[in-house]
Amino acid sequence: MGGSSRAMSSAATTPPSVDKVDGFSRKSVRKAKQKRSQSSSQFRSQGKPIELTPLPLLKDVPAPEQPELFLKKLQQCCTVFDFMDTLSDLKMKEYKRSTLNELVDYVTVSRGYLTEQAYPEVVKMVSYNIFRTLPPSDSNEFDPEEDEPTLEASWPHLQLVYEFFIRFLESQEFQPSIAKKYIDQKFVLQLLELFDSEDPRERDYLKTVLHRIYGKFLGLRAFIRKQINNIFLRFVYETEHFNGVAELLEILGSIINGFALPLKAEHKQFLVKVLIPLHTVRSLSLFHAQLAYCIVQFLEKDPALTEPVIRGLLKFWPKTCSQKEVMYLGELEEILDVIEPTQFVKIQEPLFRQISRCVSSPHFQVAERALYYWNNEYIMSLIEENSSVILPIMFASLYRISKEHWNPAIVALVYNVLKAFMEMNSTLFDELTATYKSDRQREKKKEKEREELWKKLEDLELKRGLRSDGIIPT
Amino acid sequence: MEAVKLMREIKTIYEQERNYLPKETGLSLIESTTENDNRGISAKCRDAKVEDLWSLTNFFGYSTQTFVLAVNLLDRFLAMMKVQPKHLACISISCLHIATKAVEEECNVSSTNELIRISQCKFTVSDLARMEKIISEKLNFELKTITALTFLHLYHRITLSDTSARKEALNLDKLEVQLKACLCRMAFSKAKPSILALSLLTQEIEAMQAGDLLEMASHVQRHLKIADAELLHWRGLVAKCMTDYSSPECSKPDHKKLVWIVSRRTAQSLQTSHYSVPELPTIPEDCWDESESEDSCEDLSSGEESLSSSLGSDAEGPYFPLHFRCQSNKYHHTS
Repeated sequence: MGGSSRAMSSAATTPPSVDKVDGFSRKSVRKAKQKRSQSSSQFRSQGKPIELTPLPLLKDVPAPEQPELFLKKLQQCCTVFDFMDTLSDLKMKEYKRSTLNELVDYVTVSRGYLTEQAYPEVVKMVSYNIFRTLPPSDSNEFDPEEDEPTLEASWPHLQLVYEFFIRFLESQEFQPSIAKKYIDQKFVLQLLELFDSEDPRERDYLKTVLHRIYGKFLGLRAFIRKQINNIFLRFVYETEHFNGVAELLEILGSIINGFALPLKAEHKQFLVKVLIPLHTVRSLSLFHAQLAYCIVQFLEKDPALTEPVIRGLLKFWPKTCSQKEVMYLGELEEILDVIEPTQFVKIQEPLFRQISRCVSSPHFQVAERALYYWNNEYIMSLIEENSSVILPIMFASLYRISKEHWNPAIVALVYNVLKAFMEMNSTLFDELTATYKSDRQREKKKEKEREELWKKLEDLELKRGLRSDGIIPT
Repeated sequence: MEAVKLMREIKTIYEQERNYLPKETGLSLIESTTENDNRGISAKCRDAKVEDLWSLTNFFGYSTQTFVLAVNLLDRFLAMMKVQPKHLACISISCLHIATKAVEEECNVSSTNELIRISQCKFTVSDLARMEKIISEKLNFELKTITALTFLHLYHRITLSDTSARKEALNLDKLEVQLKACLCRMAFSKAKPSILALSLLTQEIEAMQAGDLLEMASHVQRHLKIADAELLHWRGLVAKCMTDYSSPECSKPDHKKLVWIVSRRTAQSLQTSHYSVPELPTIPEDCWDESESEDSCEDLSSGEESLSSSLGSDAEGPYFPLHFRCQSNKYHHTS
């Protein structure tokens, strides 16, 4: 069934000739074609309808019998249904759904239900339902920012399975020492692969699941961190494709927040070798907020990391993508909000050289965002303390764009910044103005001399030309 | 001789300078007004506005002469009219605009629109035009005034005309900047331009330790019949002003006064950029973190060392190949 649905969708609704206008395929046409198959591949024997013997409700059964009934229901829920075929097994699908619902409630309120036998059954049921091969995405055409994500067809069941699993993990009776036999590295590895799901709801649940597992299974923590490292490194250096970066970063945020001091070398490595390079990816906007949070958390834990972080950002500063530049400027401001004055002094020169370039950017949003730093009180106080170093770096570009920038709003903002500098350190400001003016005059003089030289050469050429013709100039 | 001609010129101008002095009674009234008094301008108010004028002069690239003229017009006007503080902005900008038109080349004069926009003023172009008219009338259209700058230029030319070999001439730009610093303080509005300029000249001469010029300066003083006491008084004030001006102490800029207008898109990105506390609760790192890893022997990653070492997440962890481990030691020592 899964294969044929794809064949059906390729009967396009529009003729192929309208496909490309000016060599670019029109987005509306692309979307119209996207009547995609929704589900991930589940291999199932076809034709045979699924029959499950309805079991009594847990609440209707006396307490001593409940654990065994619980196990039976778990086993029944191991049966997976095909949601691509919207008409098949409707009754049984509904039965499984209500059973799952019942299990969710049961796990939430019950006491004494969690026997040792339950653990493997729970893990098995969850594994059967959630572990599957995700469908390939149109990796070239799917734009995560613009297009609608492909949603999981079996979500009515899947959601309940996730819900159940989370409550199971959070249950008061849950014992990691027993569970760790079943929730092992292999389980975690498969779980991590699911983070590539295009369905944001699924990723959200996975985020919570992994967060709880990390919290409870101390023995798995190093492994989880290592696997996340691998995912990120592969993402940055090989594929640039992974849908779950934001969610993983969110989990990492809560982990970083809990780091013990002094920070372990491994964590610092992670910051420099994984988190900083993560900034270079094209799809940064999808997870930038979470990434910036992680970075700032690191710096709050260990301020000595400020210098390598900022130098790293400066090294990877976007040169052709203005949208990214604006993001970097936002992140930099968040870092500066928490920076210690001693650290600030270490990086102020390369930092403000970059800001000076941003401020002169012809892209007005970049210039505007950079100029807005001067509205930040804390940054201003840092600049004031070091104005003798910073002002000379900023001066030339500020002065130049006050005369040359095309955008009047930028010019007005530059006035604010120049005024602030003027009031901060008027002596230095006047000195720099004088130097700038004399430099400009020298330049103008040079230009004039060069022009005159060319003119002289032209005249010479003319004179030579005339003589060789034998015509005597008058 | 050049020097003689100059001296004569100075004398002529000296005799006219009193025509362009702001009324002393008016100035005293301003100095005695307190800041919170809404009926009149205080000295601090005036000083702040003059600093704004200097910022604008600098920003638009106008000459010092424009600035000095603007300040002169402003002081004269304020000394003769009782003005409400809310009109001060309009008045000062009008003075600047009048001065600009009088001094600068037409092509360099920026529009009133631009002037109002940059200075973030709340009045309109027609307000400005009306105010200019009022000021010009009140000052009897005497717009080409004699100011301390006039004298400064003349004094400077005299020092240049001195034929005796000089290693370095007096820096006129520096003197102009110092004059600007003085004019930002109300106290100097009372000074006669000739004396103010002479004070600046002599204190710069002393700073340069150019003894020969000192003689020339005293020659000028005698020529203009300036009393010693008066000159000393103003030199004292100038010296104090210079100390304040060149002090390394940075005055905190009052950026609360400035309005930061950003585009809608930037404003939006500013709002969303602050990623608040995530929903996931913090997971504290325990120091006995890895000691319970019994399932670490089931290592699935190919070709890597097992995680059997209990506190193995430190420098020896199998995360990164050998050459990275050397770097990790670097961090260890800096922490």
